[in-house]
Amino acid sequence: MSADPAFVTEASSDASILSQQQAHQRIARREKAAAELSQLVDPQAVLWSIEQLRPYESDGLTAMKATPLLVVLPETIEQVQAIMRWAHSTQTPVVARGAGTGLSGGALPHEDGILLGLAKFNQILELNPEQGFARVQPGVRNLAISDAARPHGLYYAPDPSSQIACTIGGNVAENSGGVHCLKYGLTVHNVLAVTIVTIEGDLLDVGSPGHDSAGYDLMALLTGSEGMLAVVVEVRVKLLPVPPVAKLVMAAFDTVEAAGDAVGEVIAQGIIPAGLELMDKPAIQAAEAFAKCGYPTDVAALLLCELDGIEEEVNAQVAGVSKVFEQANASSLHIAATEEERLLLWKGRKSAFPAVGRLAPDYYCIDGTIPRKQLSHVLQQMEQWSAEYKLPIANVFHAGDGNLHPLIMFDAGKPGELHRTEELGSRILQLCVEVGGTVTGEHGVGMEKINEMCVQFDANTLTQFHSVKAAFDPDGLLNPGKAVPTLQRCAEFGAMHVHHGELKFPELDRF
Amino acid sequence: MTSQAMDNNDDSAGLIEQVQQAVDSKTPVTVSGGGSKNALGNQGATQGSDGSDGSTTLSTLAHQGIISYEPTELVVTVRAGTRMVQLNEALAAAGQMLPFEPPVFNGATIGGVLACGLSGPRRPFSGSARDYVLGTRVINGQAQDLAFGGEVMKNVAGYDVSRVQVGAWGTLGVLLDVSMKVLPAPELELTLVQHANQGDLQAFVPLVRKPLPLSGAMLIDDTRYLRLSGSEAAVRSAAAELGGDVLEDNSLWNSVRDHTHAFFRGAKQSVEGEGKTLWRIGVADFAPALELSGEWLHEWAGGQRWLLTEMPANDVYRVVAAAHGHAMRYSVGATDEPAFQPLEGAMQNLQARVRDSFDPLRLFNRGRFHPELDVSSNVEAARA
Ligand SMILES: Cc1cc2nc3c(=O)[nH]c(=O)nc-3n(C[C@H](O)[C@H](O)[C@H](O)COP(=O)(O)OP(=O)(O)OC[C@H]3O[C@@H](n4cnc5c(N)ncnc54)[C@H](O)[C@@H]3O)c2cc1C
Repeated sequence: MSADPAFVTEASSDASILSQQQAHQRIARREKAAAELSQLVDPQAVLWSIEQLRPYESDGLTAMKATPLLVVLPETIEQVQAIMRWAHSTQTPVVARGAGTGLSGGALPHEDGILLGLAKFNQILELNPEQGFARVQPGVRNLAISDAARPHGLYYAPDPSSQIACTIGGNVAENSGGVHCLKYGLTVHNVLAVTIVTIEGDLLDVGSPGHDSAGYDLMALLTGSEGMLAVVVEVRVKLLPVPPVAKLVMAAFDTVEAAGDAVGEVIAQGIIPAGLELMDKPAIQAAEAFAKCGYPTDVAALLLCELDGIEEEVNAQVAGVSKVFEQANASSLHIAATEEERLLLWKGRKSAFPAVGRLAPDYYCIDGTIPRKQLSHVLQQMEQWSAEYKLPIANVFHAGDGNLHPLIMFDAGKPGELHRTEELGSRILQLCVEVGGTVTGEHGVGMEKINEMCVQFDANTLTQFHSVKAAFDPDGLLNPGKAVPTLQRCAEFGAMHVHHGELKFPELDRF
Repeated sequence: MTSQAMDNNDDSAGLIEQVQQAVDSKTPVTVSGGGSKNALGNQGATQGSDGSDGSTTLSTLAHQGIISYEPTELVVTVRAGTRMVQLNEALAAAGQMLPFEPPVFNGATIGGVLACGLSGPRRPFSGSARDYVLGTRVINGQAQDLAFGGEVMKNVAGYDVSRVQVGAWGTLGVLLDVSMKVLPAPELELTLVQHANQGDLQAFVPLVRKPLPLSGAMLIDDTRYLRLSGSEAAVRSAAAELGGDVLEDNSLWNSVRDHTHAFFRGAKQSVEGEGKTLWRIGVADFAPALELSGEWLHEWAGGQRWLLTEMPANDVYRVVAAAHGHAMRYSVGATDEPAFQPLEGAMQNLQARVRDSFDPLRLFNRGRFHPELDVSSNVEAARA
């Protein structure tokens, strides 16, 4: 996260802070770009009035805003290629955008660049149940794929909580996970191939319909690359058979630590649940108030543990985890009696973010991953800091994977509170790195965690990342300034630590 | 259970030093582990038997041992020179396994397995080598000691450099340490033997779309073999559903995986005696039978196909490309035809730049993988 008020205000108020002359130059640039792009796509698909640009100022991380030069909404691959060639020849930055649900500012516009909206690429091109795949355009919503596959007894496994809204293109860019990735993997494990447009406008097929392809595994590099390497214009996903049986065990605990320890015990028994999620008291209460799903509200922690597969196996595993939870002193144990109840219990979990959103004017979602054995330690430390900062934290997370999502509740209207929230978030992320984890499990670095990257990686490694980017995008035009900090920025972040965030950052330099 | 390896098994400083010398003197480096896959890939510029081009060999064998292993975390971190046999034993002792079931060729190390991107019979059902790599420590072509990813299951900080190292044949860096996700070994495993028509691959297609506990599927001549893994209850019920003779002895799968099966022993003789070539062909499982003459063994429900043939390499590459797959020569080449499906056009340029971004002097295993990626102005500059 960027404790970077300078960036936010400068960016959000568009012309007001810029000098008159700069503002004029900007308007001229905008008009010229709009005229040129209108030659390449339907002029209606070029948005450039301030009112039209407003909705695109931020993604799911609303604390950061910027107005792009313009927004362009192509509808064919040829148009994307033409736009990229134009951007390349005019050296204009390009930020791709799916649904804008990203939580790290990945789709935050660049002030001097165009925002390439892929919303019109919303077609499922082919769904082949016999051969177990779907070919879709990048703007197709995650859930739409599973909805289309389900009549054939198939589904697309990664299920981010935002799946009603987020796009598969955004999922590829973030390597998104979901509540079922403990058993079924992340986006990187479920996408077979993509078609990309490079910054030079070349169209390339990466990956294959089979299990591997010639040369380097560029699928690995592209997945999770946050729109920094290429624009994804088609995605081929693997469809899996819907497991015949799924059962959900809900266990309540008197302490969060006991619940955390039970998670490790399940794994130690050789059981890999389809999902294993933990919620603490504030999250349980918020979710229950929101979704009325039947969670006990007087407990310190809840584990939702889903087992799926063939009936015989699921029954054996339900018995197995129930025993583990009992031995871990679960205060109550409940197995969803019907399919409706199972889905309802999941609904509570999946709506936990918006539910917490009702408890406070604003919330800030953190996304560190830690080794499972560090769960109790990290949870305790967060509790202490939460008291210190007087900012309540709700925890609802992918416990099986050690992927934390502390939600810090705050009021952006109170002077300084956003800043303190960001500082607390940054400390939590740095703690994740300290205990052997990472600053982001699934939401991406974007603009938000750019400083914390300096804590996780040394200068040589960051330089290697920049070299990888340059292999795809030598001029640094795709999503400039995101995902990997410049060494200069890291030097400044180091300084910030000493001075407790009082330093203001100069405008990001482009790589 | 945590086993800490002794420090005298850590040769990272020595390896970095050796790469530094190679960088300083611009000398190509042949990276080697157990040497079990020396016959694979292209001969390479650095592979002249007399070392006439002055290349040096860098052996990872002194850099070995398990650094940490905690079964409840489902993660093992090992040094690249660790022998596969040793690693598998340690995991089995805790009731776990590498889910991608890599081949254990004689003397193979985990570094070599990952560099060559090898996965075994379980691959189509539980994933590939790269799917289970969580983090790596790598020496890049500038002798820098870099760490990517980590020991946690989910990590999207920075580009996924760890996974791209898998199957790069050492051309993007020297693997020092790797962290991998491991899984519990199944409670029960058994093999079903079914009669099939020669070359009947299509029978696999509906099977792999069903929720069955499959962990292996192959076709050898007119016999189809299906392996089931999981809880006793699940395996028994699937076995009843699928039918066929039940084999409790599963050693067949290892023999195919490790190329000790009669098909591969025979292939070795034909390669040496009759100048035939063994090919590994990767295609979609549903790809139809390929118009290439020779003897076939089909693994991965049809997704990995072995072909012993007299046909020239170019014919193989052409037919396989038309089926949207790729071929790799799996025997020492009688000719200097490329060992990997050639890359072309914009894809070749992009991949060459990726190579460049890790190893700008193209020192590592030059010529061994895709020689077309090694032709660059940089290499010229380095020679000058
Ligand atoms: C309530 C809520 C719950 C969430 N839950 C989860 C969760 O459980 N798991 C999870 O992983 N995430 C979660 N997220 C985060 C977010 O939904 C995911 O990161 C998602 O993948 C973003 O998709 P999008 O289409 O909205 O992408 P955007 O936000 O539009 O873009 C995200 C990034 O992808 C790039 N991008 C988008 N499309 C393309 C393309 N076609 N080519 C190249 N680059 C592209 C953008 O430049 C940007 O860097 C949640 C978000 C919200 C708001």
